[in-house]
Amino acid sequence: MNPGAALTLYVMSAATVVALLLAVVPLPSTWRRLPEWVGFAGIVATLAIAVAQWGERQTAFSGELRIDRFGLLLTWIILPAALATILFSWGEPSAAGRRPEFVGLVLAAATGMMLTVMSGDLITLFIGIELLSVALYILCAIEVSRERSLESGLKYLITGSIGTAILIYGFAMLYGATGTTSLTGIALKLDTMDGLLTEPLLVAAIVLIVVALGFKASAVPFHMWTPDVYQGAPTPVTAFMGTGTKVAAMGAFLLVFTGSTQQASGDWRALIGALAVVTMVVGNVGALMQQNVKRMLAWSSIAQAGYLLIGVAVGTAAGAEALIYYLFAYVAMTLAAFAIVMLREREVEAGDTLVAFTGFGRARPWAGVVMTLAMVSLAGFPPLAGFVGKFLLFGSAVDAGMSWLAIVAALASVVSVVYYLRVVIVMWSPAPDGARPMRRLRVPVSVAAVAVAGAVAIVALAIWAQPMLDLCADAARALMIP
Amino acid sequence: MPWVSILILVPLVASVVLMLLPATERRLARAVALVASFLTLAVSIVVLSLFDDQATVLSQVDHLDWIPAAGVSWDVGVDGISIWLVMLTTVIFTLGIIAACQHLPRERASVFLGLIMMAQAGLLGLFTAGDLVLFYVFWEFMLIPFALLIWNWGGAERRSAGLIFVVYTMVGSLLMLVAIVATGILAMDHTGELSFLMRDLAGVPFGEATATVLLAGFLLAFAIKIPLWPFHGWLPRVYSQAPIVVTILLAAVMSKAGVYGLLRVGVPIFPEGVGNLIIPVAILALIGIAYGSLLAWRAPTMRLLVGYSSVAHLGFIVLGIIVIDRMAAQGAVLQMINHGIVAAAAFVIVMILARGTGTEDIDRLGGLAKGAPRLAVAFLFVTMAALALPGSNAFVGEFFILGGVFDQYAWMAVIAMIGVIYAAVYMLRMYQGTMNGPPRGVQDGGRAVEMTGRDAIVLVPLILVMVWIAVWPNSIVAPTRASTDLAVAPAQIALDRPIDQIGVLPDRAAAELGVDDQKAWIP
Repeated sequence: MNPGAALTLYVMSAATVVALLLAVVPLPSTWRRLPEWVGFAGIVATLAIAVAQWGERQTAFSGELRIDRFGLLLTWIILPAALATILFSWGEPSAAGRRPEFVGLVLAAATGMMLTVMSGDLITLFIGIELLSVALYILCAIEVSRERSLESGLKYLITGSIGTAILIYGFAMLYGATGTTSLTGIALKLDTMDGLLTEPLLVAAIVLIVVALGFKASAVPFHMWTPDVYQGAPTPVTAFMGTGTKVAAMGAFLLVFTGSTQQASGDWRALIGALAVVTMVVGNVGALMQQNVKRMLAWSSIAQAGYLLIGVAVGTAAGAEALIYYLFAYVAMTLAAFAIVMLREREVEAGDTLVAFTGFGRARPWAGVVMTLAMVSLAGFPPLAGFVGKFLLFGSAVDAGMSWLAIVAALASVVSVVYYLRVVIVMWSPAPDGARPMRRLRVPVSVAAVAVAGAVAIVALAIWAQPMLDLCADAARALMIP
Repeated sequence: MPWVSILILVPLVASVVLMLLPATERRLARAVALVASFLTLAVSIVVLSLFDDQATVLSQVDHLDWIPAAGVSWDVGVDGISIWLVMLTTVIFTLGIIAACQHLPRERASVFLGLIMMAQAGLLGLFTAGDLVLFYVFWEFMLIPFALLIWNWGGAERRSAGLIFVVYTMVGSLLMLVAIVATGILAMDHTGELSFLMRDLAGVPFGEATATVLLAGFLLAFAIKIPLWPFHGWLPRVYSQAPIVVTILLAAVMSKAGVYGLLRVGVPIFPEGVGNLIIPVAILALIGIAYGSLLAWRAPTMRLLVGYSSVAHLGFIVLGIIVIDRMAAQGAVLQMINHGIVAAAAFVIVMILARGTGTEDIDRLGGLAKGAPRLAVAFLFVTMAALALPGSNAFVGEFFILGGVFDQYAWMAVIAMIGVIYAAVYMLRMYQGTMNGPPRGVQDGGRAVEMTGRDAIVLVPLILVMVWIAVWPNSIVAPTRASTDLAVAPAQIALDRPIDQIGVLPDRAAAELGVDDQKAWIP
């Protein structure tokens, strides 16, 4: 018991409150960047603490929170994603009037994500997911003057609420079946009671939780909201949803299934495996149809959720390890891709359509290289991080005797090659005559920094895969301790 | 010095440098590309000079752990099978770069050259990889530069051609990735630790059923890349839409990736599975020989004719490997080199003709020999090599293959002979159609297509190599012998072939029999 162990959450919460309070304090115009600086300071401080805390598990609040290598490593992904989101919005004219709220809500969502992956109890887990969801509902609709943004927020609110309702119902049943809400307690209970594994209440709980977390991770068939919400939300928010939410949802999957209900894995392995298969197939085929890059990235994030779910479905430490590595790679690739989309959006009318990318690589070769790296890595071409991640996930599937998952993933990846490479082709092909960019703005340093950092990470994660995997293996081991 | 790693890094670094050059620096780009390709050639000659031609296993190995937890490492080296493919790659790419520099594309020439160098790095890596995952990495790595070359600098239908190329290849290769993962994990029961090193995996007893399934997973990727009938659907579109220099590289070098994989990975690692697949694969190869020859005979353009003839020639090579015979396997390796040289020369001639006349249609050309006697001589020489006339280099290779095939399955050799006959028909059609008869397609009797000194720089070295191999084939075959013997030996043992056919005993079998000298064991 050590309340100090949750220091990361305190710092993040404090930063959130300060940033939000700035909304009611009239700031002189020279201080208009103060909310962002508060956000940076909070995130950097939290990240430093999260690095310093790396070690054996500590619990706080009677085991409600578990600060271990699993939660901390996922925090290392969530915080850079939050930082990138604030950087993305740095020069956004539309966010100008609402900087404190924007930063505060991003910090609140990040806090929720951290709470989710550090939770040691179903209640904390639920609160974490709710906190991140509520913050994101508002963030989606933050451009109140734009109809699409409002629509996006409303859609996300409605579908998200359904997911939340199902989640709490599932948790209630899990509590009913095991008599405890503690993740440790559930694991120990399942360990001792063999007869419980065929208990209908437990099976129903598992199904409901899979459905609810499927909503959050945008797994098929609970993905319908994703393309509309992604397209309508402000692009920085979309990037955050595509990365941070995915990390939190996958973290929740791992905590509840691989970590806590390991003993009942016979009940859920095939179920989550089937979910992964449907998600991969539908996500990739859906992405194939898109003419809008943001929508394409939304569908691609659905497909990627399918690959990620392989790591849950196998139910082993190796699966968790591969999944965590792939989350790092996925976040780097997605942030790099969204950074380039943001650059284009600023310069061209309807800049998020595929056509608008024509010739962008020739006009700005460095942006073309970043986007090419991101797309090629998302498609799983070696030797980039996306390939290493897929390789590890395939390995975990074969190792767990679920080779069929690897085969479906391989075939689905073939489809993904088409739409990822289409972006590359369009970027590098000559711009049609007379279609000069409407404006040729100076590239904001903040967005460019995220793009370049993402591209560097895509390469570095592949070259130094072993040290990275050592960290992921530590995290997976921490997860497997009941 | 880690020469083999340097061999891969030189073109890779050159490609990065080239792509960073500003688009206006065409002269500089040309200089960088030429220097880098000659440097690569020089390094490959160093590797060749250090090569011990008695080596059975991978030698000059550079090993560096990449992801030890996943059993993945940077492991490159050369053996008797790969050494000549490395030489083929560096020679053809040097000539290809020269040809490209003579007629640089109008826009972004530096990127064009950079992508060619990148493709070369990928192919050299593929031919030297000693780790299955690294093999896959390079297998995919070379796809991107080739696809981009087709997309950006190809003919009118370049977009769909590039897409077809990528999608076809990916279907096979991603299933190969699953097979690779499965191989490593299943082998763990035997080797104790996760490793994807080919030398660790060869000799792992997978059992017949598992080995067959795994080999089939690899075979699909190889069959598409080769291409084996009926997986050749991408070939006509890609060969005819790619820039001609790229078509030369595809046909001469990249088409060897599949057959190399079959001999380097498929047969030695899954010997128990080979038995079930000999007949099906051989039938596909035989159909490919006949079908490719027929298509070549009726092909409307010169480019398609040479492309379809590749399907037939590669069918021969596949046959030479899959019948599991020492002589046929040696012939297959020799024929890989021969086909690379001859296909490159044939496409160079197509390039010269197309440049002088503006068309690749055979029916629109004729009587060019009158104005272009030097080209006609070179063309005739290449034609004779392509139809494997006795005394030509390809004759030796086909003779080895047919001899070996006849020993094992006489009926296959009989059917394969059809391909030899048809080769004469289509190659002579191309030669006679363009060179003999009334002049057509050019104004001045064909003087416009005459081989210039610049063309000769590219074409003459190829012809010299053909002469060299024709006169002294043993200089190529002898260094490959030890490695090909070892590659087919496990399958020969699994197939219960007569003991006197087996040239060398693999380590494991030698240990079981208690013999020390692997070669002197034959009673």
